Amino acid sequence: MPPLLAVRDLAFHYPDGTPALRGISFDVERSERVALLGSTGSGKSTLLQHLNGLLTPDAGSVTVAGFAVADDTVREVRRRVGLVFQDPNDQLFLPTLLEDVAFGPLNNGVDSHEAIHRARAILEELGLVGVESRPAHHLSGGERRLAALATVLVSRPDLLALDEPTGDLDAVSRSRLVRLLTTRPETLLTATHDLHVAAALCERGVVLHRGVVVADRPLADVLGDRELLERHGLAAPLDRSGGAPSTRPSGWRRAD
Amino acid sequence: MSFHHLDQYATVSSPVTRATPTARVLAATAIAVGTAALPLGAWEHLGILAGLVVLVAAAAHVPASLILRRLAGPFVFVLAASTGLLFLVPGTPLIHVGPFGISDAGLQRFGFVLGRASVALTAAVILVSTTSFPELVQALRQLRLPGAVTTALGLGYRLLYLLVDELERLQRAARSRNAGGGTTRRRRLLVGITAAGLARAFSRGERTHRAMLARGFVGDLPSLAPKSWDLGTALTLAVLIVVVIAITLSAHVRS
Repeated sequence: MPPLLAVRDLAFHYPDGTPALRGISFDVERSERVALLGSTGSGKSTLLQHLNGLLTPDAGSVTVAGFAVADDTVREVRRRVGLVFQDPNDQLFLPTLLEDVAFGPLNNGVDSHEAIHRARAILEELGLVGVESRPAHHLSGGERRLAALATVLVSRPDLLALDEPTGDLDAVSRSRLVRLLTTRPETLLTATHDLHVAAALCERGVVLHRGVVVADRPLADVLGDRELLERHGLAAPLDRSGGAPSTRPSGWRRAD
Repeated sequence: MSFHHLDQYATVSSPVTRATPTARVLAATAIAVGTAALPLGAWEHLGILAGLVVLVAAAAHVPASLILRRLAGPFVFVLAASTGLLFLVPGTPLIHVGPFGISDAGLQRFGFVLGRASVALTAAVILVSTTSFPELVQALRQLRLPGAVTTALGLGYRLLYLLVDELERLQRAARSRNAGGGTTRRRRLLVGITAAGLARAFSRGERTHRAMLARGFVGDLPSLAPKSWDLGTALTLAVLIVVVIAITLSAHVRS
């Protein structure tokens, strides 16, 4: 059976000529949970935007569930890849939360009543009851993050691609989101530089550095390799007191 | 930043908020059009329409103080636009102000324009006080306003908050470094903040567009099914429209 996601020799330059991705290759199998690790500017967000055709590569290919990302397949690919952006404000652009959540299904041809039904169901599942008619600016940061997640889960994607999912959250909201993500059945690819979040969610780690995959191993191995983490900006070189970062912060347990 | 005070009566249970937003828009439009169509000098009929608006305000539990406060802003523009009538309409001069004279006909027309504007604006204030902006956009969609207009209104409403938040953050960052001493420096700071805010708005727009594409957007903003009408709302709206038409027609017949 082919992998759910196959990235082959992917290369991309920004319009100013700066190389962002330089020959990236990796696969993600169905039901796998993969952490895309890398410091700021390593190319994580750029890579995620290639997964559903928002950016067009200079070379290489991305294949999702057997569909090579191209103009004629992009609609199908976007239905299958649920991309959650780094800033939830970018993702919540309609006057009410219900409209925002129903936006994806409506674009995919689902009729209005069914889209509303699905949107309400996913909001209830994520604990966002009673806020469906509010605009996003009336939600808390944690609620906004969950709402952004709801906008893609409602389309029942095969692959959930998250860009720094806990970036701006406080400890309680972060813990809540991580617990929720551990229960989701979707294949997960999460870009983060938060090693604790990665440890709580994933079993495999792909380390990106300056647009190149420098490691692709079980996450426990990656997190145990202090030198690798320091070399690629994922751990502070001067912090020798605590040894390798904890792979399982207390209170968070990955659903194995 | 919160603008919740703008539509604070939208969540108050009343006969007005129980009506569909589309019915509220149609009712406000009917009153405004009926008022604008009154012939000059139909003071009695204008009074009846004003009474009707007061009844609607009472039914919506919107206090008079709030209506008066909200009328103040647009009323300045009405005054500025209609003051010329005092001097330009020919008639028997009543008062002389320098080289200009205020005529009786000018005074009457000026007063009537103000009266009409007050009634129409009050209807609009009641509408926006009892209807949230998302509901208004939904109502305009149901009334078949062009999709480009309702889409721009919907996106603009959401992005406006983000833009104002960005500008406030920039302003705070500048103030925290003691920026803005002296008029010239303040002006320069304002220009800088505005330029940075616009640049951020542009990149925000680009990111939002990508987020829309990622969820299958192909150019048409789909909309949800609007709230359905009930018989009571339809009948109330029909009666209100008939009353407004009757008042306007009777004013024309009497004139």
